[in-house]
Amino acid sequence: MEQSLPVRILRDIAAVFVTALFMFPILWWALASIKPISAMFDKDRVVFFDFVPTLINYGVTLLGMSRSQLAIDAGLGMGVAGTEAYDSRRAIFDSVIVAIGSTTITMMLAVFAAYALSRMAFKGREGFLNWVLGQRFMPPIAILIPLVAIYKTVGMRDTDNLIMGYIGLMMIYALMNLPIAVLLMKSFFDDVPKDVDEAAMIDGATRWQTFRKIVVPMVRGGVAASAVLCFIFAWTEFLLSLFLTTDIRTVPVKIQTFVTSTGNEWGFISALGTAAAIPSFIFILLVQRHLVRGLTLGSLKE
Amino acid sequence: MSGEAVSNNARQQWLPSWLSSEHPFPWLFPASALMIVFGVYPLVYAIWLSLERKHPVTRKLTFAPTYNWGKLLGDERVWNALANTFIYTGIALVLQLVLGMLIALLLDSDRKGYGLLRAMMTLPLVIPPSVTAMMFLLMLNGSFGVLTRGIIALGLLPPGYSVLGQSSTAMAGVLLAEVWQWTPFMVLIMLAGLRSLPKEPFEAAAIDGATAIQAFLKLTLPMMSKVIAIAVLIRGIDLFRAFDYVKVMTDSGPGTATETLTSYAGRIYFGNADFPYASTIALLTLIVVIVVSSLFMKIFKVKL
Repeated sequence: MEQSLPVRILRDIAAVFVTALFMFPILWWALASIKPISAMFDKDRVVFFDFVPTLINYGVTLLGMSRSQLAIDAGLGMGVAGTEAYDSRRAIFDSVIVAIGSTTITMMLAVFAAYALSRMAFKGREGFLNWVLGQRFMPPIAILIPLVAIYKTVGMRDTDNLIMGYIGLMMIYALMNLPIAVLLMKSFFDDVPKDVDEAAMIDGATRWQTFRKIVVPMVRGGVAASAVLCFIFAWTEFLLSLFLTTDIRTVPVKIQTFVTSTGNEWGFISALGTAAAIPSFIFILLVQRHLVRGLTLGSLKE
Repeated sequence: MSGEAVSNNARQQWLPSWLSSEHPFPWLFPASALMIVFGVYPLVYAIWLSLERKHPVTRKLTFAPTYNWGKLLGDERVWNALANTFIYTGIALVLQLVLGMLIALLLDSDRKGYGLLRAMMTLPLVIPPSVTAMMFLLMLNGSFGVLTRGIIALGLLPPGYSVLGQSSTAMAGVLLAEVWQWTPFMVLIMLAGLRSLPKEPFEAAAIDGATAIQAFLKLTLPMMSKVIAIAVLIRGIDLFRAFDYVKVMTDSGPGTATETLTSYAGRIYFGNADFPYASTIALLTLIVVIVVSSLFMKIFKVKL
């Protein structure tokens, strides 16, 4: 159905307006991170662009600069406490380690399981699929509280042993991401015709050889898309990290510690928040093509 | 060639057949192990915990199978949290679905520039929800928040009003963050659905003189029903575990105005560390999710 010119123009305006509406909080947030304090807390007016931008907030949170020194250098000379509590380099490290580790674990387990679910006929196949799906339905809080008790008993809390703490958090993230990875990978394996496997096996390859040499290379794009989604979910996760760890502070949890009894450090919060969103933005644009499939556990394809 | 196959089989004969790559066991075992150790075992543990009573002073656990569940039935805060969770889920689901569909219809065009708009629409999805909550906390701040100022300037709220600070509007404030972040989820799925629709019925309808609204109601909606049902199911499950926005923006408050099941369980956990009772509330969440989602899948004949 062709639309007339005025309708088309109206539609373009509406589309741009709606998108801009959804982009506004992101823009506002990024602006907040480079605003001097005076611009952010102006009581009389809303400051949009007429301020002198500063990178102080990024310097403190991402580079670990001393806040009081920066204030003196900037000629503010006010009595600002120079604590190291806003240095977030360790939190970024923790987030990266846990996200990469858990994604690796998830993908290794998921690719194997998904291959069998896609290719083999066996008793209990439906049951296994339902089990995986059921895992996705389960609210994390249901296993979280006992998990804390279990980790305490076996010494897997980060306060007992830092390495075990990382592993503990990775494992629960792996569990959380497993359903999406398994079901998504199964849908990618389903896209590869079974004739491919059969031809290879008639030629004498074992299942394992067929899988490794023939089928996995054909679903490389799917593996990458699934891994990116797992990474993003682990990167943005909040509840599990908040409950399970004390010393390990992933970025979403760390940022909450900037909310203090004397007031929220909005500059640092917005700087770290903006920095935390950037890797996700880059990754999500890389997997646009498979996003819908990923979000619907492989049941809808674009 | 068949000779090679024989030699392959021969090479593996020292392995029991269920350990060979022809058998599903080795393929499924690693994933199963993770799901048993970190999923099933804690769940069984949670059920066991819910049957124990924690002595408030000695902190000893004693077996009292009806204690927590009885307490739960008589706990007004549980019912309040359950109601809040349903309200939160219901309102967010309706808003996200309607807005998602409208925006998808708007952005479903092959013309230049629309691809960029669609890509931009996906960005809110990947911001950590706890950061999104902070964004809206800043924008809804009573004294300098840009949104609050805008609403006050329009004369909709009295000056100095704090949206999140009043129990009557706190839930709306939290929902704003939720709807902003996850409407793009619906937009994406609806777009995928719209793009997979066949063209012919629409062309035929246009020839018959059907209006755009008629075509939407009679053709688009019925053909999209499966897509809508899947989107509602997945979003609904996630909405029901609502925690991040509530925890960061209002910490379940003011009072218990925005307390959800997960945040109430969290409050007990962090508050007096009554693991058994917190587990019981968490299990209630699970039971409700199972019942509601099974009913939904039955009624709407959805299968993921």
